[in-house]
Parts: sequence; structure tokens; C-alpha cells
Amino acid sequence: MTATEPREGRVRDPIDLDAAEEARLRTAAGMIPAPIASPGGEYFGFDTVSIPDRPPQTERERELYTLGEGEMLVNMGPQHPSTHGVMRLVLKVRSEVVTDLDVVLGYLHRGIEKLSENATYTTVLTYVDPMDYMSAMHNEHAPALAFEKLYGIEAPPRAQYIRALVVELNRVFSHGLMMGFLALDIGALTPILYGFINRDEVVEMLAAISGQRMLFNFFRVGGVNWDVNDEFLSRLGAWHAKELRNVKDNEALLTGNEIFRARTRKMGVISRQQAINLGVTGPNLRASGVPFDVRSAHPYPPYHELEFTPIVQEHGDVYDRYLQRIAEIKQSMHLIEQIMDKMPHGPVQAQVPGIIRPKPGRAYAAIESPRGLYSVYAISDGGPTPYRFRMRDPSFVSLQVMPVLMPGHLIADTMAIMASLDPIMGGVDK
Amino acid sequence: MRLLTERVAETASTLWTDEDTVEIRISAERVVEVLRTLRDDEDLDFWMLADAAAVDYGPTEHFEVVYHLYSDRHPAWLRVRAKVDRADPRIPTITPLWEGAMFHEREMYDMMGIVFEGNPDLRRIYMSPDYRSFPQRRDFLLPDDAADSPAAGINPLERPETWDLTRFAALGPLNPLAAAGALPEADAVVADPAGEQPEPSTVEAGVTDADKSRPR
Repeated sequence: MTATEPREGRVRDPIDLDAAEEARLRTAAGMIPAPIASPGGEYFGFDTVSIPDRPPQTERERELYTLGEGEMLVNMGPQHPSTHGVMRLVLKVRSEVVTDLDVVLGYLHRGIEKLSENATYTTVLTYVDPMDYMSAMHNEHAPALAFEKLYGIEAPPRAQYIRALVVELNRVFSHGLMMGFLALDIGALTPILYGFINRDEVVEMLAAISGQRMLFNFFRVGGVNWDVNDEFLSRLGAWHAKELRNVKDNEALLTGNEIFRARTRKMGVISRQQAINLGVTGPNLRASGVPFDVRSAHPYPPYHELEFTPIVQEHGDVYDRYLQRIAEIKQSMHLIEQIMDKMPHGPVQAQVPGIIRPKPGRAYAAIESPRGLYSVYAISDGGPTPYRFRMRDPSFVSLQVMPVLMPGHLIADTMAIMASLDPIMGGVDK
Repeated sequence: MRLLTERVAETASTLWTDEDTVEIRISAERVVEVLRTLRDDEDLDFWMLADAAAVDYGPTEHFEVVYHLYSDRHPAWLRVRAKVDRADPRIPTITPLWEGAMFHEREMYDMMGIVFEGNPDLRRIYMSPDYRSFPQRRDFLLPDDAADSPAAGINPLERPETWDLTRFAALGPLNPLAAAGALPEADAVVADPAGEQPEPSTVEAGVTDADKSRPR
């Protein structure tokens, strides 16, 4: 059987058809009759399929998908090992240099905002867990703060300290994994294994306090679900005694490594002004030299009682973003020690009814997640469900720098630059 | 607070909501002007766009686009609320001020159908490009409750019997419907000279009795 014959028992593929038949099929399907011809010549038959299969909707899209001399489109994803979830990048390349890039999202869109409008305030906290699955504790933190503000209560001091403790633990393993993924995308396998050993130790610890390994469902409106217990404390002590051995092993493997430095330094530089303009937040913003951290800029309890100064880097390249993560892991360890020292006694849950009906009003609460400013805007109409529940995910906004950064870099560097931004698609697509 | 009232005085009512948020309301036409003042004025210096979101107040009411800003000089978040007409939802884009508003505006367009005039890349961002509805509006119903509501089935995408399966046939062997045998052969569909709809029996293969009894 030759390649042009339709396969047995299958619907015929448009690629197999002759031009007239293809035009008819495409017209029947509401597409433009012929694919956009590539002036750049034949690329192994790829110019018979155009991306996207429809007329461009905006000027920017027309510009993106119009090929110049010697240019071609390379599709990366949605199921690509380096895209950190399910996302698609359409790269416009000339030989091996990227000239333009389109970020295509929505493969993981679950409509969490819409679902939350039909869920009670307590159940919303379970919906947001799988959003940014690397930092589920942070995902629950901002809605809990927003709903408490709506309802006019505050969590007891001990609950606030336990919250800070678990989110800092979460930040440590999230940043540790980012180091591993960055190395993996560049081509080094070992760091991700150390990253996962560290993550497993922390996750087992969090499972001891919350009951679940990944999607913790630990926060409640007005407090947290459980007080700290013996297993959690003994695991925390054992883990703390190792003094971040796995992270330090990674650091020893990567920071001075000549290949790693060659692949990351002066790569994907985000200037201070660009970062502000594009809405980049979190470690990526601080790596560009802007000392903005919600924990210090607009502190939420108990961070106003902790000693804390944001760390910044100078250059804003991939290497600086990596260094920033290491510095923040150590900073988080410092915060964890302070929290354990200062943790007060008392209840961990305020008195709230089973179904909460806040007075009509609106509340905005923002926290610092491992990926940046994560905020929730909630509106109540007096009913048992939020009238509007809006989440601002930091990696969603940070992805906008990709089309700005990529032109001029090689295809292989897409991975490094993307991994340095540390986007999590569960959060991007909501 | 006093400064804020002075600099953007002629806009509208200014009010405290709670101890860490200040709220002002403006009209949709003046969004760019007001936000530019807030960002560039040296005493105000709201350099960071923390969030931009749209709120739907129901079919008989209006939309609202809500911006949250941050400034190092002020202890509070600033919330700017702009009212948008629901029948003709248009508001100027703020991408010239903050390029990072692009994804926010694309999301608002995708989810609510608000058109940002002057935005150079207003495409859908989550839903597929041929999607025809705006899922986060209040009158868009989830499939679970669509059967019980008076508006059930208004959206063609909620009515499988109206789906034009020739569109799916063109996707070729990757189409899961074709693999499951739920589709007629593509040749049969395309060769039909009048371009008629496929046989109802095949179209309704996936429609349950519950779907048929849904009021339309």
C-alpha cells in the first residue's frame, strides 16, 4: 500500500487527497479552500498543512502565521515532555533560530471560576487545589483569606502560623523541583531525582498533617483543618536536621557547572522595565532586580511578625532566576525556623457555621506563591455560593514574556527559558 | 487618599471598602486616561497591574471590568471599577499602558465577550477558536442544570442534534467519533451533491432519552 492510498477502514486523511477534493472537503468543513502557501519552499511536505487551519482573526495572528523567506513553523506540544503540562508553542523559525512564537493555551481549562460560582465557600477551597498543583497550599491560602475578609472573621493566631508553616514548606519543594526541571530541560537527568527526593520528604510531612499527599485540602474558612501532630513534627525535625541536603547536592552539581552556565547565563534576559510592563511577578520579577514580594510589600498575617527582606538578583537571565530559587529556599528555611520559634498556643479554627453566607460585598486577597502574585477577587451576594470568584494565576501572566524573549534564541533554548519561568499549566489554564 | 481624590477627582465616587483596599469607580471611556494618571503621577505611582477581571451582574444589568493596582507608596490595594454596557460590551484596551494586560483582556473576551477596542490580538485564549459562546456569563448554564432552566438549549452547542458532523469528519482518522464508529464514512458525507445533513439516526446515536425530553 502506498502512502497516498487511504488506510483500510479509516476516514481518509485530508493530506492524502488531491487538491480539488481537498478544497471541497475543506469548504464543507468551513475552512478556507486551500492551505496558506509557504513562499519558503518545500519542507518535507509540511507546507501542505497550515497552522491554524482557518483565516487569521487578528493582525497579530496574521503576522505570526505568515512565513517570510526561509521560515517555517514548528509545533511544540501539546504533549511535549518539556512543556510542563499540556500547552502548545508554535515557533516560527529560520534555520534553527526562533523568529516569533505563539503560546496556545486552554488544553487543561476546567472552568474552575465558573464551577466555583456553583459551590459553597467551603467546597471552593477543594476546587482550587488542582489548579497550580505544585503549590496546592498556596492555592488554598488566597481564597481562604478572601472569604474570611468577606465574612468578617480572622483565623486564630495559631492557625495563621500553621498556614505560614505549610506554605513555606510547599515553597521549598516547589522551588527545589524547578531547579530539577530546569536541569532536565537542558539535558541533565540527576537533579530532578534529587528534587523529587526532597519533594517526597516534604510531601509525606504535609500528608501527615493534612491527610493527602498532593491536593491537601487543608485550609478552612476561619482556620486550618488540623493542628500539628507528632508524626508531622518528627518528620519536620528529621527533614530539617538534613539541612536541605538534596538541594545542596543539586546546587553543587549545577551552580558551578560549566555546561549549565553556558546554557543559562545571558540567556532570556528580562529587563526590569520589561518585567514590570509584562506583569511578571514572584521570583522571576525579583531576579530582574525589582524587590517586590507580597509578603513584605503587603503583608498578610503572620508575615508582619516575621523578619523578612526580599532577595533580588541583578541580570534577570535564566541563571539568575535559578539562583533566585536557591536563595528563596534558604530564606524559606529561615522563615520556617522563625515560625516554629514563635508559634503561639490556642485553637486552630474559628467558630464558623457549616454553610457560610457572607454579607453582600467584595474582597481582594493576594499572597506570594512560588510563582508570584496569586490573588483572589471574590464577590458575595449574600447567598451560600460566591457570586463571582476570580483567580489571578502568576504563571498565566508570566507566560506572556515568551514571545518577547524568544526571538533570536535557538529552538533548544526555548526549553531552558520556559523552565526558568517555572509555569504550571494547571494554574495557567484554570 | 486625599491625593487620589485630587488627581482623579472628576471621575466618580471614591470610597474605602476596608482597611486594605481603596475603591474608585469610573466610566468605561475614561479607563486609559485614569489608569495612565494613576501609573505616571509621581505621588501616586501605581506601577503594578495586579489583576484585571470582568464581572457579569446578570442579563438585565451590566458588566464590570475591575483593575487592581499596587503602589509602594500606599498601604492599600487600589481597585478601579469600570461599568460596561451589556448590550454593546466595549471598553478601550489598556495594553499600551501594561503589555501584560494582554492575556487578561483575551481571557475576559473569551469568557465574558467583552471587546477591548484597540487590542491588537483579541483572540480566544482558553476555548477553541470556533467556539461561539461566552461561558462565564451568568446566563450561560452548566450542562447539569441546563435541562431544568427556562433557557435550556438556546446555545446551539448545548444541542447535539444541531451539530454539523461534516465539520468533524474533516478532522480525519484522529476524530474519536470516527474511531467509535459513530460517524458515516467521510466519502459518503462529502459526495452528497446537495450537501445535506447526515442521516438523523447516526446523528442521534449519542443522544440519550434524557436529552430528548429536555424542553427547548
